[in-house]
Amino acid sequence: MTVASIIAIIIFVVMFILVITEKIEKHITTLCCGGLALIVVFGICLRDFEAIWNTINLEAMIQPEFWRSAGESESGGIDWATILFLAGMMIMVEGMARVGFFRWLCMLIAKLVKYKTVPIFIAFMTISFVLSMFIASITVILFLAFITVELSKLLKFKPVPMILAEIFCANLGGSATMCGDPPNIIIGTQLGYTFNDFIMNTGVIAVISFVFTVAYFYIIMRKDLKTTVSVEDFADLPAPSSAITDKPGFIISAIIFIASVILLITHGTTHLTVAAIGVIVAVVTLITSGKHILEVLKGVDYKTLLFFVGLFVVVSSLEQTGVLKIIAEFIQSISGGNVFLMVCIIIWMSGFASAFIDNIPFAATMVPVIKALAVTTGINIDVMAWSLAMGTDIGGSATPIGASANVVGTSAAAKAGHPIGWGVYCKKMVPPTIIVLLVTTVYICAVYL
Amino acid sequence: MSKQMIISISREYGSGGHEIAKMLAERLGVAFYDRNMLDDIANEMEVDVENLHKYDEKRRLPIVRRTVRGYSNSPEEIVAEFQFDYLRKKAAAGESFVVVGRCSEYILREYPGMIPIFILGDEDEKSKRVQMVRGVSDSEAKSIMARHDRTRKYYHNYHCPYKWGDSRTYELTINSSKLGLEATTDVIMNFIKVRMEHTEN
Repeated sequence: MTVASIIAIIIFVVMFILVITEKIEKHITTLCCGGLALIVVFGICLRDFEAIWNTINLEAMIQPEFWRSAGESESGGIDWATILFLAGMMIMVEGMARVGFFRWLCMLIAKLVKYKTVPIFIAFMTISFVLSMFIASITVILFLAFITVELSKLLKFKPVPMILAEIFCANLGGSATMCGDPPNIIIGTQLGYTFNDFIMNTGVIAVISFVFTVAYFYIIMRKDLKTTVSVEDFADLPAPSSAITDKPGFIISAIIFIASVILLITHGTTHLTVAAIGVIVAVVTLITSGKHILEVLKGVDYKTLLFFVGLFVVVSSLEQTGVLKIIAEFIQSISGGNVFLMVCIIIWMSGFASAFIDNIPFAATMVPVIKALAVTTGINIDVMAWSLAMGTDIGGSATPIGASANVVGTSAAAKAGHPIGWGVYCKKMVPPTIIVLLVTTVYICAVYL
Repeated sequence: MSKQMIISISREYGSGGHEIAKMLAERLGVAFYDRNMLDDIANEMEVDVENLHKYDEKRRLPIVRRTVRGYSNSPEEIVAEFQFDYLRKKAAAGESFVVVGRCSEYILREYPGMIPIFILGDEDEKSKRVQMVRGVSDSEAKSIMARHDRTRKYYHNYHCPYKWGDSRTYELTINSSKLGLEATTDVIMNFIKVRMEHTEN
């Protein structure tokens, strides 16, 4: 191992520890560690100034295939496609939230099922699953948890079980599509998959798992959903339309959302990249926001975008110094070249790691690892990609800190006076995580191997 | 006294600070807030108070809690915020009260009637009190004291820029073991009286 590799590992480990301890804001940590990796690893140790330029990767954006291509991204370094897509979707979601779209949807569903707890429970799990396929699970959970708490007060049921089920379904829905969860965007853009590739692979696994998930949560939580309040007591509840703050804006937001879903579903045919879709969606949302443009822009989580920038640089330093190749060789040696074992290791190791650490840096690190594994073992990279996506997306559900949706959901519950400790959380969420990882393992082994 | 006064009592475990605070509230004829404020908070939110008590005056645990886009999932932090908001509302409404701990000396520092006091005690005297109240041995009492003081220190230092127990943070720091609880309360009452005479409200 070279000095450059050792320094790259040290920077990566320090970054990870600082991200976990939250002593410094995450984006500052990754940007500083990224800067350090550029200067020390590439500049001083490797003396490779071209590698610095390649890692910053700004050149990628002026290539036509950055905007219109269906192939694999050849360049390493900062994955600007992921960052632009995330930024675009954040802007769209901000626009939708501003006009009351999510609140309207939740209230409408609750009304349609006549405020009965069990149908609300199943309907909210379904909304969580479906919406998280297209927009950030944090946003989905934020609105669902808030409405769930409000409804629990009216209908006198315990909100915590329902919020936990919604969190799990948000993470599960995120695994179904390329844009559902950040690890999938990273896997998709770096390995050149389309939206449909994910739907036909992780999407199928997610839908099968969703059936098991609903059954599991219904069985363990049906007692908590009992209510003594009757439907007639809610005749004077506000109409769902009261949630809409700006009617023309609402219609425009709904159209933009539907258009973005169509663009994503058809991007394999249109060859528009996710970066292009992100930019189109952002530009249209901003143009149609009119005087609210600043309000929408303020809602964009630029810290997360900067976090990604720094992260990609640090991971790139690990890749270019050969550290990730060593990890790939290690996985290959412990599996003895057995493809079943290798898939199981990827699914369960990703699942376990993602339960405790941020799954975004984990996925960003593992993509080059599975690329190297595919080259050295000859195993189809698709199998490993779907295993990695499901492992990282689902494993994150197991603990309160495993995924962003868990943090936001448990935070919303606590702010409503229902703090959820690790014990309660894990007791309810570890079993479905194991169930879905088992479904994934069986499906991948049965269908692909 | 018509001026608003907010007596913030910080205390070492076993020093009798809680009892002194209660006596002060009775003598001054003002409200007394300790963990009981969680009962009001839970009542208002229509939630189970026991769920909130678990996290009372505890610091945010490192590593096992996370913050995403400004949303913290630390129940300790959220329960502390509930109490801070509760105290801010009471103070803003012009109410006079005695409050035990909860970083009140920092949270309500802008009020002219805020009188921050720290009550400490001798190790052996504190231990005797804990042994009597909790029916434990000397060594157990000392270990309980150390644990509680550590928790209070971490909680305080997490939310406030000043160190727990640092005399520069308080207007009066007093050792209750020297005078006993009643006489210590008398001294504090005298101090409050003079202090309020010098307070413009």
